[in-house]
Amino acid sequence: MEKNIPAEIERFDISARIQHIVMFVSFLLLSFTGWGLKYAYAQPASAWITVWGGPKMAGIIHRVAGIIMLLDFIYHQFYLLNLARKKDLRLTIVPMPKDVVDLIQNFLYYFGLRKERPYFSKFTYLQKFDYWAVYWGMFIIGTSGFFLAFPVTVSALFPQFTLAWIWDVIFIMHSDEALLAIVFILIIHFYNEHLRSEYFPMNWLWLTGKMPIETLKHHHPAEYDYLYGKDAEKRKK
Amino acid sequence: MRMLLNVTGVLLFAFLLVPAAGAATDAATCLSCHGSMEGTVNVNQERFAKSVHGSFDCVTCHPAPKGDQHKGMSGPAPDKAVKDFAAAIAPKNLKDPLAAAACVGCHPDKVEEYRASIHGQNVIVKKSSDGPVCTSCHGTPHYIEKRPSMASKVYLYNIVETCGKCHEEKHITEKYQFSPLVMERYKESFHGRKLKLGHTGAPSCASCHSAHSIVSAKDPKSPVGSVEAKKKTCGNAACHPGATEKFVAAITHQPLHPIAHFAEIGLIILTVSVFGFIIIHVLLDIFADIRDRLFRKGGGH
Repeated sequence: MEKNIPAEIERFDISARIQHIVMFVSFLLLSFTGWGLKYAYAQPASAWITVWGGPKMAGIIHRVAGIIMLLDFIYHQFYLLNLARKKDLRLTIVPMPKDVVDLIQNFLYYFGLRKERPYFSKFTYLQKFDYWAVYWGMFIIGTSGFFLAFPVTVSALFPQFTLAWIWDVIFIMHSDEALLAIVFILIIHFYNEHLRSEYFPMNWLWLTGKMPIETLKHHHPAEYDYLYGKDAEKRKK
Repeated sequence: MRMLLNVTGVLLFAFLLVPAAGAATDAATCLSCHGSMEGTVNVNQERFAKSVHGSFDCVTCHPAPKGDQHKGMSGPAPDKAVKDFAAAIAPKNLKDPLAAAACVGCHPDKVEEYRASIHGQNVIVKKSSDGPVCTSCHGTPHYIEKRPSMASKVYLYNIVETCGKCHEEKHITEKYQFSPLVMERYKESFHGRKLKLGHTGAPSCASCHSAHSIVSAKDPKSPVGSVEAKKKTCGNAACHPGATEKFVAAITHQPLHPIAHFAEIGLIILTVSVFGFIIIHVLLDIFADIRDRLFRKGGGH
């Protein structure tokens, strides 16, 4: 059985990797230009906007990057549909009750009350959170951003009774949730994929799409067992 | 004949040397004292010379300086328009109302607009000292620079602060029932932020409320006095063409509606909880990583 185990395993196919690159490039452009406007009254931010060609150019970059991100997100849904059509879609990223168990066990491990890390699946609860955060972000920031980009047109959709607060709510949603997204990515994503001692300066998975089998066994034992354990043989039969 | 030409030449030369010979009312004479005096009577010679009014004699606007030290330094008597305007703005209790009213001599159209405006009416009709006169917004005429000038108090990027001097004042906002947060709400809006960053298309106060002819935003004559007026003002071709009734509701300068206020609090709680959780999570992970490397060689791996 050992012979059938490859040295590394493809975790993300080429399409997923390109989607990720488009996503983070547009995310960074949106963050950089949006930050300048959000903190217009803080001294470095107003100077920062000149790096992006002044407020007008920064506005154009922000809108273009926003549309690219939106298209990338829509493309991802078709990508998933296509995987489902080819019966290639495993629901490994869907949150499960096991994730709550994993979370509790992980904290027990942190506090020294458990010797081993939890029996993580293909994606840990934190990775699932990271993935679904994009959906939350696209819903909150994407929708409000779309409203703010085409305010005159979109205003026709607002019921009369919402007019006293809808614009402020949209603005707050866009600005506050963007800050949440930026800081979330900055802390969790940078720590997990860049700063972690085993990955520094970065986890090359984003380019190669491949994970060494040892890493899989260590960080995602449930997935390892799913692929190469006893049950895997049975499933093939 | 030759003699006559020589004399004329000498006379002309002498005239060049002493341009205002005999007149003790030119700017240089005044500035010989006022250029080095301290306090409000000081006039900075360099800045005055650079200003749009730099070529004026002082007596153009200060026709009759008071006090013995100014004896014989009076200029031509002010005309009726100046005297009328000076009388009209008397409620402001200015030190030299004639000087403050002198603007009308060259800018009668602007003064006419001002007289009809809510600012002018406040001073002239209501006899209140709250309303502004020319210098309240433009600053001293001694230093008014050619536009566009960053030094100008009414320049696009400075006028918000200038209006704020009064419209942010608590006793003014209470007395006249303005939105107490008008400045704050403007500054945090997209308009205010973009203006702060130097966006050339961003509107300042005067862009929507107009300037010299300003009237109350509740007055139907105001460019923002009614939904129809707002649709026209906001719908300016360079701004938001096709602005609808629902669109113009976006800017009110009023304090946040409770729904928006609680939405903001909800989102702040969400943001702070997520921050707290992930920071603790990352720190614990770093701690466990170090612990395992130091004390549990291979353990758990």
